[in-house]
Amino acid sequence: MRQPYDLSRRGFLISGTAAATLGALQAPVLAQEKVFRLGALNSITGIGGPYGPYMLEAIKIAVNEVNEAGGAAGRKFQLFAEDDQTKPEAAVLAVKKLVEINKVEAVVGIWPSSVGLATMPITNDANVITMNTCGAPEMLTENKKGLAWMFQASNAIFGNAFAEVARQRGFKRPAVMAFNNSTFVGQANYFKNAWESGGGKVEAFVIYEPNQSSYRTELARVLATKPDVISLSAYRPDATIILKEWFQTGQDCKFIMPGWTANEDLVKALGKEATEGLISISNVAADKHEAYKRFAAAFRKVAKREPDIFAAQSYDMVITLALALEAAGPQADVAGVNGKIRSVTGVGGTRVNGFAEGRDLLRKGEKVDYEGASSRLDFGKHGETVPDFGVSDIRDGKLVLKETIPGKLPA
Amino acid sequence: MDLISIANAVINGVVIGMLLALPALAITLVFGIARFPNAATGDYMTLGAYTTMASQLVLGGSIVAAVLAAMTATAAISLLMYFWVFRALSERSHVSRLIASIGVAFAVRSTITFFAGQDQYVIDVPLVRAWNFGGLRILPTDLYIVGAALTALFVVFFIMYLTPTGRRMRAIADSAELAAASGIRARRVMIFLWTIAGAFCGLGGALLGIKAVVLPELGWELLMPMFAGVILGGIGSPVGAVLGIVTFSIAQEVASLYVGPAYKIVLAFFILLVVLLLRPQGMLGRPIAAR
Amino acid sequence: MEGYFIAIAISVLVYLLMASGLALQYGFTGLVNFGHVGFFAIGSYASALLALKGVPVPVSLAAAALLAALAAYPIGIIALRLGGDYLAIVTLGFSEAVRMTLQTEEWLTRGMHGLPGIPRLFAGWVEPRYIDLCILLLLVVVCVAVFFAIHQIIKSPFGRVIEAIRDNEVAVRALGKNPAQFKTRSLMIGAGIAGLAGGLQAHYLTFISPEQYVPLITFYIWIAIVLGGVGSLRGVVMGTVLLVGFLEGSRFLRDIFTGISEVQLASVRIWIIGMALICVVLYRPQGLFGKSAERKH
Repeated sequence: MRQPYDLSRRGFLISGTAAATLGALQAPVLAQEKVFRLGALNSITGIGGPYGPYMLEAIKIAVNEVNEAGGAAGRKFQLFAEDDQTKPEAAVLAVKKLVEINKVEAVVGIWPSSVGLATMPITNDANVITMNTCGAPEMLTENKKGLAWMFQASNAIFGNAFAEVARQRGFKRPAVMAFNNSTFVGQANYFKNAWESGGGKVEAFVIYEPNQSSYRTELARVLATKPDVISLSAYRPDATIILKEWFQTGQDCKFIMPGWTANEDLVKALGKEATEGLISISNVAADKHEAYKRFAAAFRKVAKREPDIFAAQSYDMVITLALALEAAGPQADVAGVNGKIRSVTGVGGTRVNGFAEGRDLLRKGEKVDYEGASSRLDFGKHGETVPDFGVSDIRDGKLVLKETIPGKLPA
Repeated sequence: MDLISIANAVINGVVIGMLLALPALAITLVFGIARFPNAATGDYMTLGAYTTMASQLVLGGSIVAAVLAAMTATAAISLLMYFWVFRALSERSHVSRLIASIGVAFAVRSTITFFAGQDQYVIDVPLVRAWNFGGLRILPTDLYIVGAALTALFVVFFIMYLTPTGRRMRAIADSAELAAASGIRARRVMIFLWTIAGAFCGLGGALLGIKAVVLPELGWELLMPMFAGVILGGIGSPVGAVLGIVTFSIAQEVASLYVGPAYKIVLAFFILLVVLLLRPQGMLGRPIAAR
Repeated sequence: MEGYFIAIAISVLVYLLMASGLALQYGFTGLVNFGHVGFFAIGSYASALLALKGVPVPVSLAAAALLAALAAYPIGIIALRLGGDYLAIVTLGFSEAVRMTLQTEEWLTRGMHGLPGIPRLFAGWVEPRYIDLCILLLLVVVCVAVFFAIHQIIKSPFGRVIEAIRDNEVAVRALGKNPAQFKTRSLMIGAGIAGLAGGLQAHYLTFISPEQYVPLITFYIWIAIVLGGVGSLRGVVMGTVLLVGFLEGSRFLRDIFTGISEVQLASVRIWIIGMALICVVLYRPQGLFGKSAERKH
């Protein structure tokens, strides 16, 4: 009975030694080829569930693009992904793991403002770059070290754009409905302020609780004021129910909605008839940019669907980071890379649409301006993007771009 | 608020209430006979909604066939869980069954999301406009939903009050010991109970999926209002459960005309407290002594 | 490296504090409290708001515990006259009502925007890189103190009465003691501990928002004490370590199972918790680390 035990132990020892030797052999190789350790913190589960997994896909696409081109400044990206469950306290642990265990130098793909705000003290302490899609205005004030980059327009800019569009389209009696979370309540408030500072009146202002099976009473409250347009700040599940119930009432009214909700997915859920004429507002991107076209093609291959704006933004995060790394050079530390983010996206450089193209120009010593898949990406002084907005109508189930309006902060 | 708005809110409350009456009935029956609040009720509903969606994809077209398939599937899972979990726990404390049912809820939901993901689905039914009677709006889809719920309720009440199985069921609900002493075999009643509970949750979930969208948290989110409705009606009383949940839903809808929607839930809690203070046995329940 | 383990340890200890409060209520008094997170939330917000107003953190923490305990008083009065299942549902409703109120009363809580910039514990007293370690040490001290206190309570005449209530309420009543009064006190002490845990977490995270206080947290704590073993402090500790260890440890599964998608892994995680709960209740009712056999109610 002893023998097998001994044998297996010897086997274990041998393989253990082999592994150790292998490890020793590999170590210098790894040290030679220095990697850039990149963290992805996505809302895979929870309310972010419809968006987070695709953001991660987009990040993987961008990482592959960079690595296939040979890496940035000779460094390949090594990706570590975590789920924040769309919850701040889960996010804190997840980001600690990324920072402490995986030793990442940047965290991309942070989606909700609550996670952005909860993780910022940690990433700031650890000197880690973060790139997010958070829209809460506090993100700007809490960005004390300038390490956070907001790829999504802030709520203030969004709310303003909604009001601007409503005015340009000649609506007179707007009403507001918004999902109760910080992003959408912010949007709704800024819409109201912008509209009322222009001398109008908002007919009804309803913030609704998510996760209901019917919003008919909330909707009735809004429709009772006979609005000609409703600014509806919603995610897809609640928007699906609200629009279904609105269509069933038969009351005439238009909707202005954020682009990540009012898109082809919504049409698929509701059908063409109920979505006809919805006004969808989104960072203008995109579909005109080369970067978007290439990204969208790659995305369709893995995800079998069109990318949404968050996916496009996530892709841009990695490419921007890679270009900044390239510009900063192989010896640069995190602060050095961070310092280059503005310069590779700012106005004045040659416009580029992808990593390889930008890297080649950077190597020649030229300035570049990355035109992203999500927007043209110019960062303000607090790390915020002020994108132009594309205003699209949904016609016969397709998004048709009508006009572009410049994004601006509220006066 | 004008009368039309209130009337519309009432109609809406009735529809939601009738829909939730099915799982609420399942809760109250399980409570009365198996003696614990079943936290897996919500996730059985979710399962019903997902199987409806899935069988519609597989079978193609017919919504009725899809709903029936969903009811069968949830009834099967409900029975399976009875044989594996709740039967073994029948002699133990009701808290242990409650805890186990939370485990069942987690297991069912995560199995669904493992295969279906986190994204939403819709059950394919044609969108129709509401009939408008001078501002009063009635939806044809809602009529089908109420019709389906009423039929199911009628069937179960018929069984409960007019068949031998139903009599045995009520006997066990009154007193398990007495029933056993008079030779009633609990096994068959339990099988019947869990079949009904599963099928009703499945039907409720399917109808909810048709009315709203299919999401992993669909049923779980409704546990709280359903329990409140059941308590309001008198825990353990089948007719009370139906009346309780309908009253409760109407109250919630009408209230959301006046208070902020977030306070719907606060209101639910408040109603619960008032009922427990003034009439702990609920609208139709028998007085229940502290266990 | 050690920073991450400190973070996990802090998370374990915060849960452990909450679990010890619940253990007192359920394990030793038989109170089925499904609204534990509500008291936790009250503690978090009370302490955070006071500290943001400039109240010293130790004072705000004490106020948090006190306020949470007071909030439990009316609940106890109303619901303790009723059976366990009613208490479960009433407390669940209570915690949801608390969350909705936090979410709606923007003038006080900033609603869904949450409270950023909550003063950190020990900020300004010690070097920033040692703050987490200090918070960890403080939590250890608090936990030990709370466990010691609970131990003393159980040993005291009061403790013997609450244990008697758990085992046979009628007999206690026959002895001329009013069980409801004892239950209310036990509920309040447990709630106060949860409030303290909430306050400590708020000053550690520095950002709180109503979404953090969902019923799932309550369920996690229940799962922890059921897994570990209800009615023994050792079980509570082991259960909490096991649960948080699993929740965190499963992050590393992803580095091993590369074929499975992130979404599916999240499902697997919940599935394992659900199954563990069922199996423990079925096959090891005293919990993985408990000794006493389960009582009948």
